[in-house]
Amino acid sequence: MENTSTYHLQADELDALFAHLEEQYLVYAPVRIPSGGRYAQTDSVLYRPVHRYEDIEYRERSTYPMKEVLTPITQTLFYFTEDQYQESKPPAKDLLIFGRACDINAIRIQDQIYLLNGGVEDPFYKRVRDRAKFVLMECAQQFEGCFCCSVGANVTDMHAMAFSFGERDAQIEVSDEAFRDYFSQAKPSDYSIRFPEENELKVNYPVIDRMDMANRLKDHPMWREFDDRCIACGSCTVACSTCTCFESTDIVYTQNAHIGERRRTCSSCMVGGFDQMAGGQCFRNKTSEKYRYKILHKVYGHDARFHTGPMCVGCGRCSARCPELISYPATLNKLSRAIEEIQPEEVAHHA
Amino acid sequence: MLENPIKPHACEILDILPQTETEWTFRVANDRPVRHGQFMQLSLPRIGEAPISASGFGSGYVDFTIRKVGKVTDGLFSLQKGDSIFLRGCYGNGWPLERFRNKHVVIIAGGTGVSAVKSLVDMMYNDQSYAKDLHLIFGFKNTCSVLFSDDLLRWKNAASFHATYTLDAEEAEGWQKGLVTDFLGSIPFASFGGDYECIVVGPPIMMKFTGLGLLTSGVPEDHIWMSFERKMSCAIGKCGHCRIDETYVCLDGPVFNYTIGRSLVD
Amino acid sequence: MVEDCNIKQMQNNCYRQSKVPDEFMLQLRVPGALIDAKWLDVIQHICQTWGNGSFHLGTRQTLNAPGIKAQNIPSVNDYIEPYLKAVECDLCNVQMETRNGYPYIAPRNIMACIGSVHCINANINTQNISHKLEKEIYPNPYHIKISVSGCPNDCAKAHFQDLGIVGCTRPIYDMDRCIGCGACVRKCEKAATRVLSLNDKHKVSKDACCCVGCGECVTACPTGAWKRPNRIFYRIILGGRTGKQCPRMGKLFANWLTEDSLLGMMRNWPKFSDWVLGGKPVYIHGGHLIDRAGYQRFKEFMLDGVTLNPEAIIAESVNWAETEYRSNIHVKPLSKHQTVK
Ligand SMILES: Cc1cc2nc3c(=O)[nH]c(=O)nc-3n(C[C@H](O)[C@H](O)[C@H](O)COP(=O)(O)OP(=O)(O)OC[C@H]3O[C@@H](n4cnc5c(N)ncnc54)[C@H](O)[C@@H]3O)c2cc1C
Ligand code: SF4
Ligand code: SF4
Ligand code: SF4
Ligand code: SF4
Ligand code: SF4
Ligand code: FES
Repeated sequence: MENTSTYHLQADELDALFAHLEEQYLVYAPVRIPSGGRYAQTDSVLYRPVHRYEDIEYRERSTYPMKEVLTPITQTLFYFTEDQYQESKPPAKDLLIFGRACDINAIRIQDQIYLLNGGVEDPFYKRVRDRAKFVLMECAQQFEGCFCCSVGANVTDMHAMAFSFGERDAQIEVSDEAFRDYFSQAKPSDYSIRFPEENELKVNYPVIDRMDMANRLKDHPMWREFDDRCIACGSCTVACSTCTCFESTDIVYTQNAHIGERRRTCSSCMVGGFDQMAGGQCFRNKTSEKYRYKILHKVYGHDARFHTGPMCVGCGRCSARCPELISYPATLNKLSRAIEEIQPEEVAHHA
Repeated sequence: MLENPIKPHACEILDILPQTETEWTFRVANDRPVRHGQFMQLSLPRIGEAPISASGFGSGYVDFTIRKVGKVTDGLFSLQKGDSIFLRGCYGNGWPLERFRNKHVVIIAGGTGVSAVKSLVDMMYNDQSYAKDLHLIFGFKNTCSVLFSDDLLRWKNAASFHATYTLDAEEAEGWQKGLVTDFLGSIPFASFGGDYECIVVGPPIMMKFTGLGLLTSGVPEDHIWMSFERKMSCAIGKCGHCRIDETYVCLDGPVFNYTIGRSLVD
Repeated sequence: MVEDCNIKQMQNNCYRQSKVPDEFMLQLRVPGALIDAKWLDVIQHICQTWGNGSFHLGTRQTLNAPGIKAQNIPSVNDYIEPYLKAVECDLCNVQMETRNGYPYIAPRNIMACIGSVHCINANINTQNISHKLEKEIYPNPYHIKISVSGCPNDCAKAHFQDLGIVGCTRPIYDMDRCIGCGACVRKCEKAATRVLSLNDKHKVSKDACCCVGCGECVTACPTGAWKRPNRIFYRIILGGRTGKQCPRMGKLFANWLTEDSLLGMMRNWPKFSDWVLGGKPVYIHGGHLIDRAGYQRFKEFMLDGVTLNPEAIIAESVNWAETEYRSNIHVKPLSKHQTVK
């Protein structure tokens, strides 16, 4: 990239850098949570505020995605009293968020929903998004199930800085002028940050370009196996970098039943009740229908609305989190085959 | 900051008109613009929000005809004249009024669905030159579930209106017995010279069979309009609940032409 | 000619008398029931060289070589020395003489389910704690049966041991991560003790008192709102046994013990046995010693000098329900009572 300079910082300089950054920014990065994993004696890696370089867990993919910084799982939108709703306070500082190329690309998809869809900007998203800058984490090694290269999410330029992580040092590429001053004393380096170029896992991401194809796929027998396999837990969508769905709920403080909060809470099309209307009517009762809806949103629905390709950055978190070992790439491959099956039939039909 | 588009505002309840035991019309102070067929999000702090169609509106007010079915709607039924409810919106596209001008307009509605077309019917009642004529088939379960009785009578007597009112399974004077779909044959489509539009609104199953019935009667798909109901949370295209493929019912609907509506498969 | 064998002595060295005179079955201890697969060669070699060529998987998870002639026992003991050194001394830190085979059979092999090295339900590494317990109870002339289960499923049958250990967790709830999906509530209802419910805030309430500590909620949660704490906890099920007279299932003795509390108590076990038996070890299992001493004395001995962690709770009294193969088997002439004063 032009106009970038790279610096090589040692541990103590890095700590000084973080202290300096914290004056203006709330710095978020993946952090190891001991025994935070689903199973005993396994850890998780979550986004948390960090204060020192060594707080950052860069050796592993975060269990849950970067989106949690911008759209926390539970977020208070309004405080209410009997006669008014009052907006919750915006963040006190600017945000600096560490993420990989896929993570940062996922923000573009979040932006499409929260800022562009229907021409309405979501004020609660916008107020944090406007104050967020990103720091690219170089992927020195890739992780099980990464396929960013198959969906073009392996490269980004939406970052202000880029870090190449070492045990006690880091190479830092600065592309945003606003950060240049932090490095006035730093030792320049000729290191250049690399993006992943090829993943071990290659996914032939299906393309569905017409609604009638999407609708024909909904009746395809390929979904049936998921009635037995998928437990509709929603782990995949909660862990997904690009899923955005949420629920709104009002809660009252029990001490005083007249005041309370309106909260926004992450939700998932995989979980029961997502499509449930008053009286209990649902549109996707079977688990296979929920799963099909999720997959077709990723492959078709989002692209048909925004024309920007997959609603997926190939981060691999959905499969990594699935307790039933359902592989999302394997489903994509089955979907590609189903599309191929339908296509010749259609040609014959039209002839 | 610009006005927060999802912040609810307190509005006074001007009047409450019970229609049936479980369906009441709330007249609420409002000076925001409303279009026929749009909906608003009604909030009760502590309980939550519910999307409700505007069943009527005029200077300084908007009407909601609400069926008591769950948390929020139960809460609304405990309010009285002078209390506040919280509103945001309007949302949604509303009925394509221009398409109806100077045409024969057919409206087939079932149950609470009638409230989604009430303001439209009233508009055409007040301006009877707007459409060539109006053919109504409104169905209710039984006499106890009839909404807007006075209005129904008023509309029945309007010169350019042809109204058929049905009860699913009850005999009563002035009412036909049967489902709305049984009476589609009474609409003189052949005499319209192609110059007409149909509106269908009601429970999903009713809309499905009415749509099919109209097609059998030779109505072209693009002459049919429907209002969809889906679970909604945000009404501004963010929460994802109302989405069907690339379509967001809260943004792109709730009104859809049949050519689009028929391909919306959840 | 039948050889002259001190079968008590041989039994004490983990060679069990066979119905074929002069033949014995070696029982190799596998505390925690997981070892390097290379040792399978050793047991195979013993079976094929000195045994009758068959191999028995011991019910207490020992590796058994039946049909060993008494005269070959010294050679077998020589041969198993590296195994004893590796498993008892190195793996479990047991201090013992390894030259003449096993010194005692009394503390039986510590059984364990596979635990967290493999199992998705497990809360604990059952091997680690088995090894530490082995160090506390072995070698030792007092009989005790211990097993360790990784979770309250109790696949290792802690409910039928003198002391059954169950690995537990006390899940921590992060309300902000909860999406109110109810998966944990359903899971706890279906698989555990029905202590969770969704509340009016669309979050989860817990009746912590009746939580069985299984961690099913953690496994079920899609968001990681439930998390196991960094510490692990143990439950002790006391006084279970099988047998011809009055088998019974063990009862809850202690809950939410940390490792220090558990090991502290176990260190008191030999002292307790010694007191009950007046320093004369006999072939009688731990549960019967508790019967003779009475639960209250047992409790005093076990807790002696132990600083319990604050969460720990201990049974005030224990009422076992026995299967009596002779009705009123507990009623006998006073002279036959064995109660220790
Ligand atoms: C565009 C539109 C217009 C509507 N117009 C009317 C109307 O004019 N009159 C009327 O009585 N009802 C109308 N409804 C249905 C009404 O929104 C539901 O009956 C109401 O949300 C039920 O809320 P509750 O809290 O009382 O019920 P609960 O069953 O307690 O609902 C819980 C939550 O589910 C969601 N929800 C449940 N049902 C629906 C539903 N059908 N649509 C959307 N979200 C739902 C809401 O977010 C609600 O907060 C309309 C729905 C839509 C989508
Ligand atoms: S669908 Fe899976 S691979 Fe794609 S962005 Fe979501 S979590 Fe990552
Ligand atoms: S896949 Fe499901 S949870 Fe994810 S954005 Fe789409 S509808 Fe929402
Ligand atoms: S994580 Fe797996 S089991 Fe759970 S909803 Fe997703 S696909 Fe189904
Ligand atoms: S650990 Fe407790 S709360 Fe969790 S499932 Fe088990 S019994 Fe229920
Ligand atoms: S499973 Fe997790 S997210 Fe779901 S209700 Fe329980 S704690 Fe909340
Ligand atoms: S109601 Fe939220 S996206 Fe339509």
